Amino acid sequence: MIQDPTPPIRLPGSSLPEQSGPRALAFSGEDGDFLRLVARGAALQLLTFGFYRFWLVTDVRRHLWSHTSLDGDAFEYAGLGRELVFGFLFALAILTPVYLLYFVVGLEVERLKAFASVPLFLFFFVFQQFAIYRARRYRLTRTIWRGLRFWMSGSGWSYALRSSLWLLAVVLTLGLAHPWRVAALERYKLRHTFYGDLQGRFVATGGALFARIWWIWLALAIPLAMLIAAGVVQARHGSILVDAPVANALAGGALIAALILPLLWPLFRAIEWRWWVEGLRLGDVRAASVLSSGALFGLYAKFAVIGALVVGVIGFVGLVLGAAAIAWSGLTFDELLQTRGDAFTIALTIAMFLAYFCAGLAVGALQRYFLQRGLWRAVATTSFVFHVDALAAVASRGAAAHALGEGLADGLDVAGF
Amino acid sequence: MRDDAVPALYFDGASSRRRAVMLEAGAQLVIREDGAMLAAWPYDSIRRADAGPGVLRLRSRAAPELARLDIADAGAAARIAAHCPRLDEGGDAAVSTRRILAWSLAAAFSIALVVVYGLPLIADRLAPLIPPAWEARIGDMVDAQVKTIFGGKTCSGAEGSAALAKLVAGLDKASGLASAHRPAVIDSGIANAMALPGGRIYVFRGMIERAETPDELAGVIAHELGHVAARDGMRKLIQSGGTSYLLGLLFGDVAGSGAAIYVTRELLDSAYSREAETRADDFAGDALARLGRPPEPLGELLLRVTGEKKRTAMSVIASHPVSAERLERLRARNFAARGPQLLSFGEWRALKAICSPANDGGRAG
Repeated sequence: MIQDPTPPIRLPGSSLPEQSGPRALAFSGEDGDFLRLVARGAALQLLTFGFYRFWLVTDVRRHLWSHTSLDGDAFEYAGLGRELVFGFLFALAILTPVYLLYFVVGLEVERLKAFASVPLFLFFFVFQQFAIYRARRYRLTRTIWRGLRFWMSGSGWSYALRSSLWLLAVVLTLGLAHPWRVAALERYKLRHTFYGDLQGRFVATGGALFARIWWIWLALAIPLAMLIAAGVVQARHGSILVDAPVANALAGGALIAALILPLLWPLFRAIEWRWWVEGLRLGDVRAASVLSSGALFGLYAKFAVIGALVVGVIGFVGLVLGAAAIAWSGLTFDELLQTRGDAFTIALTIAMFLAYFCAGLAVGALQRYFLQRGLWRAVATTSFVFHVDALAAVASRGAAAHALGEGLADGLDVAGF
Repeated sequence: MRDDAVPALYFDGASSRRRAVMLEAGAQLVIREDGAMLAAWPYDSIRRADAGPGVLRLRSRAAPELARLDIADAGAAARIAAHCPRLDEGGDAAVSTRRILAWSLAAAFSIALVVVYGLPLIADRLAPLIPPAWEARIGDMVDAQVKTIFGGKTCSGAEGSAALAKLVAGLDKASGLASAHRPAVIDSGIANAMALPGGRIYVFRGMIERAETPDELAGVIAHELGHVAARDGMRKLIQSGGTSYLLGLLFGDVAGSGAAIYVTRELLDSAYSREAETRADDFAGDALARLGRPPEPLGELLLRVTGEKKRTAMSVIASHPVSAERLERLRARNFAARGPQLLSFGEWRALKAICSPANDGGRAG
């Protein structure tokens, strides 16, 4: 029998009467297993020119889903790598004419005014939002728990429109509208999210998030405004700084901003995650989060430090090998540039590419390890679910969605995990 | 109930109800709850599904799609699994990594073949088929961009323009091109000339200033006419567009592949365009020969503009062949001038001063 690993816990602030008490989401994966998975995936991506990505993301999801359990039962990710390949091919068939159309429209607009076609990228932004929604639908309908699937209704285009208009509002308010944008989009997504016949909703408000993060906005806005002011002062005085003390003070402010930004980001993310988890509803089921900013800061810091180390080591090995190759060829650096050493220079270029790809893939693997799995585990293990009994007798509803959305997201470079 | 019955959790796929059941491994896998039979799964319909560590999760192709059986006891799980001959079929595990590897390499190889051999061929065949009106539109677009980049100033000194028109008319006639080309002079110190799709030709002021004789400048213009005649602009557009697209396909979203695609494309593009440059040089040589003028001055002007550069690592990337090599090639077919000078001394002087503000026409925006 599967033992329930989490005894009932009473959380501060859980005022609702509990029949069985809140349950923690459990995560049981081994670090080493996942590290091997992403390392092997990175190597295979290198060997397959990136085609392995479809199987890698599937394996990553299978690991995360199957090691996460609620009320003693593990989730299951039922998607397949080959579904993603087909989704990608379908997306290609759609994106090719779209790109051609984009090209022709761009041509016509450019004829009227040079570089007037630049705003056309906005179309692709809207399209990306569509793809994000449809990709979420694919992932959700491949998520199975207790023999029922999660699923999603709603329209990708409607979501894309909301997302784009809200983004416009965020830009116009210099970022202040961000909480309300996230809240509106989450409301739309959750309202159309189901577990069997149980409908989701999102009850957290933009105002509540704003109340928790306004000071972060201010902490960034003040030094940024100082930086802009410094730019204006400098521009007015020409290329040389005339009023050095003022400019120095302003530049100092900008430097401080650059230093505190990495500290504020994990803090901001943790606040946003807690707010999100607490806004989730599935029928009567609700959740709470005790995610700490420190945990997220640790993840980002480890990723940054280890990532820099790995890239440094790969770069150093590349340099040493390159220097050894040049020494072996017996050419001085000048001769190297002057002689007709085409074969040699091409070999060197290819070696540089290889080092570049290795570094990119290594960073990708670390990102999957720390920022995908690490974040997943941090959020899952600090989340508590209330009223699990409401999940005891849900009826089946909903069907599996096509992987086209995933393919589009891949083709438009907005693929999530 | 039999002695070898195995406890399990059963989800029937119709509701999320969690049922504690006993499994009996008879002719089929029989699922019983409190003695009552809920379902029987034929062994060859049973497949493995993902579950957490230490749990064997089964599904059946003969049951509702999402019906699941969770067996937590390792020994019992192994006994049940031994009955199921097709346990690991159908999932991703059934696809061997070696096969993915082989197909990926085949795909990459075929894309590489298309990029290196197919696209130039397609561009060669397709470029002549593009209706001239389309090509002219594309030319208009690039024209707007060029004018924006270089401040939109063209030179139109009246006498200089007349001299330039005369020079070009002679070259048009000599090379047998149907339409008349009127090159515009861009007021920029850069020593360059370019041909756009649709037959538009630009000569930069810097190039006119560096030219010492009408023959040198005529060579440059004839070279650009060569690009127009071969529709190189259109061809390059098709090639670059196709190459970007296919390489994007190949690399997908391997971290930071944008830069790799860009550099690879530049390398390939410049390899194509070096051939095109050599062809345009030959075209210029032919046109000049028909006018009885020697081709060598073109090479000398190029060498003067680019300097005595040797072949370097960068020349793999440079889109033009090294000037010294071009000069050698032009010199190989050189001869003493046998036709009349292309421009009179006065005309040449007016052309050299086409951008000077003292000149009557001045500059036009």
